[in-house]
Amino acid sequence: MLPRFEYYAPADILEACRLKAAGAKPVAGGTDVYVNMHGGKEKAAEVLDLKGLKELQGQRLTPEGLDLGALTTHRHIEEWEAVRGRYYALYQGCSQVGSVQIRYRGTLGGNIMNGAPSADSVGPLLVHGAEAVVLGPAGERRIPLEKFYVGFKKFDLLPEELLARIFVPLPPDNAGSAYYKYTRRNAMDLALMGVSAYVEVREGVLENVRVALTTAGPTPVRSHAAEAVLEGNPVSDDLIVRAAEAAAAEGKPRSSWRSSAEFRTRLIHDVTIQVLHEAVRRAEMERKAEAILRKLYPGQIGKGGGDDENS
Amino acid sequence: MKTAEIHVTVNGVPYEKSVPCNQTLLRFLREDLFLTSVKEGCDEGECGACTVLLDGRPVNSCLVLAAELDGREVLTAEGLAEDGRLHPLQEAFIEAGAVQCGYCTPGMLISGIALLNLYPHPTREQIRKEMEGNICRCTGYTRIADAVLLAVEKMDTARAEARAAGLPEPEFRGIDGRFSEKWNSQYQS
Repeated sequence: MLPRFEYYAPADILEACRLKAAGAKPVAGGTDVYVNMHGGKEKAAEVLDLKGLKELQGQRLTPEGLDLGALTTHRHIEEWEAVRGRYYALYQGCSQVGSVQIRYRGTLGGNIMNGAPSADSVGPLLVHGAEAVVLGPAGERRIPLEKFYVGFKKFDLLPEELLARIFVPLPPDNAGSAYYKYTRRNAMDLALMGVSAYVEVREGVLENVRVALTTAGPTPVRSHAAEAVLEGNPVSDDLIVRAAEAAAAEGKPRSSWRSSAEFRTRLIHDVTIQVLHEAVRRAEMERKAEAILRKLYPGQIGKGGGDDENS
Repeated sequence: MKTAEIHVTVNGVPYEKSVPCNQTLLRFLREDLFLTSVKEGCDEGECGACTVLLDGRPVNSCLVLAAELDGREVLTAEGLAEDGRLHPLQEAFIEAGAVQCGYCTPGMLISGIALLNLYPHPTREQIRKEMEGNICRCTGYTRIADAVLLAVEKMDTARAEARAAGLPEPEFRGIDGRFSEKWNSQYQS
């Protein structure tokens, strides 16, 4: 049973901004907010349902990248074939959120704004260089997702602003990414540790490497130490192990009833090795086949939308 | 606002209702429409016992507001049987012994329908993944997966028999091929 609240579902973005500034709790899929209300953690007297705002709706893949309305569901990403090939880490993250029922309701915008350090879609978005697009009465601001997080459940967002869209640049053909979520159960469980990696491989050398850790600090974070070890160097098992050591040294997981900090630190090390290998493998193998096919059939295996019924 | 006026279709029947804004779809179905197949297990999206189809997609009805229902369609386990005849998936649950205490069963049936819409001939692995959001505390999962596979056989047989007899293929409630359009429009307007 939910506590009593006033419910607003405006279709006008400025009206929504005004309601949010006045203290209404924004809700998209409700898979965090209503759970917290049921548990007594969330006590908002006013609920602001965002699902009617067209500025937050829709999603398309363009030659520049993936333009996602904040209301895009995890299930939508999971079922979107064209996204799976190019943004594999994002596919892996989104398809491991909660359960099928949760993924049909829960949104990417909500996953970010809930601010959980364990958010499954956020590590992949960080390593893919995503930008947050926020809207307010003063207009639009674009902020790198990494900078959008300023602390535990704190964002570079004014009270009258809303996260409207997420932009993820299109990776080149020599890029690969991967996400690994370590859990005790296969569904309905939070990550004990999550590691995401994005690499570009040019003649055996790693470029534009990004590594992100989830559940290793107050927010999902980049591991700049691991990235520094990898950047500009030829791929080797030894290099990947050194990067994993750097990530484990940099991560600051805490102990909770789920797991001790010591175990989580060890997980960072071991999981980083797996994820980097997977990202490199995808950069070198899977994407190469796709690139060859695209050259053989120009315009048919397209970059951008059109090859997906969801877009 | 504190109440909302909704026009909603549940199991094919249209309703016009005034609902409190903090009422969940779960409470609306159980307490206003007396559709008590929809079970309250955890009331926070963990267990799947309250799963219903909303415009063809499975959702936890405990995490949806009744106020959001205007213009939409809901299917619960009560809507599966037709003219007193059980749905092939329901028959299969009985025949495979997929029911123990029964509390999770209506939600399992609905998730089963959703999965058969997506994968008409699912593998055991697909069944496990697509039904991950439904918990059976009697732990009867193996027979639940058996039942889904048996339902596939039953429906295939019924279709083949109809074809052989020169009759139109039978339709099964909830399995209707219009799966994604409505849902996507929610986010795309």
